Amino acid sequence: MKTKPVAEPSTRTQQPIVTGTGVLGIKYNGGVMLACDTLGSYGSLARFRTVKRLEKVGDFTVVGASGDLSDFQKISSMLREMSTSDSAYDDGCNMTPRDIHQYLGRVMYNRRNKFDPLWNELVVAGFRDGKPFLGAVDLIGTMYEDDIIATSFGNYVCLPLMRKAGTNLSKEEAKQVMENCLRVLYYRNTKSSTKIQIATVSAEGVEIGEPFEISTYWGYSAFQHTEYHGKRL
Amino acid sequence: MQAPQLPTSQVEQPKESRFSPYQNNGGTCLALAGADFCIIAADSRLSLGYSILSRNTPKVAQLTTKTCIASSGCNADMVTLQKYLKFKIQMYLHQHGKEMSTPAVAQMLATTLYHRRFFPYYTFNIVGGLDQNGEGCVFSYDAIGCFERLKYTVSGSGHALIEPFLDNLVAYKNTDNKPTIERSCDETLELVKDIFSSAGERDIYTGDFVDIYIIDKNGTRYEQFPLKKD
Amino acid sequence: MSSIGTGYDLYTTSYSPDGRVFQVEYAGKAVESSGTAVGVRCKDGVVLGFEKLVISKMLVEGSSRRLLTVDDHVGMAVSGLLADGRQLVNRARDEAASYKEFYGEPIPGKVLAERVAGFVHAYTMYWSVRPFGASVLIGGVDKDGPFLWMIEPSGLTYNYFGCAIGKGKQPAKVEMEKIKLNETTCREVLKEVARIIHSVHDDVKDKDFELELSWICEESGWKHKMVPKELAQQAEEEAKKALEEDMDDE
Repeated sequence: MKTKPVAEPSTRTQQPIVTGTGVLGIKYNGGVMLACDTLGSYGSLARFRTVKRLEKVGDFTVVGASGDLSDFQKISSMLREMSTSDSAYDDGCNMTPRDIHQYLGRVMYNRRNKFDPLWNELVVAGFRDGKPFLGAVDLIGTMYEDDIIATSFGNYVCLPLMRKAGTNLSKEEAKQVMENCLRVLYYRNTKSSTKIQIATVSAEGVEIGEPFEISTYWGYSAFQHTEYHGKRL
Repeated sequence: MQAPQLPTSQVEQPKESRFSPYQNNGGTCLALAGADFCIIAADSRLSLGYSILSRNTPKVAQLTTKTCIASSGCNADMVTLQKYLKFKIQMYLHQHGKEMSTPAVAQMLATTLYHRRFFPYYTFNIVGGLDQNGEGCVFSYDAIGCFERLKYTVSGSGHALIEPFLDNLVAYKNTDNKPTIERSCDETLELVKDIFSSAGERDIYTGDFVDIYIIDKNGTRYEQFPLKKD
Repeated sequence: MSSIGTGYDLYTTSYSPDGRVFQVEYAGKAVESSGTAVGVRCKDGVVLGFEKLVISKMLVEGSSRRLLTVDDHVGMAVSGLLADGRQLVNRARDEAASYKEFYGEPIPGKVLAERVAGFVHAYTMYWSVRPFGASVLIGGVDKDGPFLWMIEPSGLTYNYFGCAIGKGKQPAKVEMEKIKLNETTCREVLKEVARIIHSVHDDVKDKDFELELSWICEESGWKHKMVPKELAQQAEEEAKKALEEDMDDE
């Protein structure tokens, strides 16, 4: 007698596993900057401390990701393969940051149509023909461009701070804004860390900095007097 | 008689969280047709929940020299749908050597939406432009392709706020003040701006800017009108 | 001579009585009537050169490229039928991409050469297909340093210090043997490659040609790139001068 075929287990991503939190992107005078921390969280466990979430694509673009890190690494390898074949053609025509943004939008949208999403919110930053580019894509396929972008928790905590700072900034000022935003994010977000990474894209090209620690201050008196915690003063 | 008490399990029911392929990004679209012109407009705010993702993401796209489309709802579906329409319209141009007429675009949109009847594009569309006779025309849709030709329409998050006023101010319903001359293009434009300013006061998903396309025999003109950013 | 081949040269699926596969040899002939490709592996990288015979004066300069990029770190020179050769380049690109996808690192020269050679060889095994009328040089740099491989239409592949294929392969090899490849740099060898290609070119019998030069070394960022225009021109000038001096000496 024939046995009944056993149903295959679902292999679609129904929730993210190892995740990264907010990515921040801002345009400044003469370039774009991306910043994020390097923490890979496994649920509420701080699982991986130094995961790089910024990926250079071609000569003018950086992609940053929050959400599922294995999905992002898959996306990265896809983009790398695409950019090597792009340069192998050697036809003097390369993918622009906008092209990459649109491409990622299509990839994400097609995966959502299969109910098998790549669980990420991506930020694409680039500089081409003297103009900065900043765009976002999410797991549904939502796509937009803006001067200031922040994903996941950063959207609530950092976006207002970044809007206040504006985009009329020097590179150094932009860096200060990003560091400060990630510090504030760290104070309120249990899934972020103080080890951060900053990438800039400008006419000089792409520069992805090494991870470094940002300072925090816990010296406020309320923190010193733990007996008050949870009580009305 | 009371229903017998069923034994309830002590074990908690498994919780299920499923991936949702839809998002509501809000936004309001509006179109008004005159005798020889058409105005089509939408705000440029992109929202998600209580967040504003972007203040300047256009919802209106020009499809031909005398046809525009405005869509609100799920941004991902919107972007895809508009890309697809632009592609089909370009192919039509290549194959037939002439531009698609506004009613043809309107019919094609309905067909396109109905093709996804069982996994719909979560979009609320309006097509506006001039028909083959040069008259202003507006087409209104639901998400799965039911459509009709109208003189005016509004869709999206501000729909319920605006529609009754258009009934009164454009179709002159429930009023005795029916003017003898039709509203001019410039007057209509002012009306559109007032409507968006008012909708922006009450609807949190409408704001930032209005992209306005004015289509008449001379072609298409674009105008941006600022709204409150709150 | 023709009596030997008769009846045994229609398919690659049968040998001749003395153990030859004529179709494969004919494919080799297709390569021998093509422009010369020269590959040199020196101490700090690899240089590839090609004598691209210009089939028409109306041809746009730089078209029908014979030196192509396979991956960031690998280049390929195609001699023989270009359409066949492109097929090999595409295959090599796919192999390089799939290796990188699977192992997360660039494909080693040996693996790439053997995989492409296997592909070429498969086309000598079935009556329904024709062997490739092209030979390729695969040059690049992997973690063991520079490499240069050559693949013949038979599917044979060898690792070389210096190799030439095409019309002028014999004199080119003779010239190459005079260079101490282990002591020369890519920069120095550029003009040698240019000189060799100019020297094997028959100005009287052959059509005009365009010299293609590519390299992979530190100066190119360890990526396979066409040699910058000024540098290539300079190498060509020096090569011509050297050739003229040789003529004067005689």
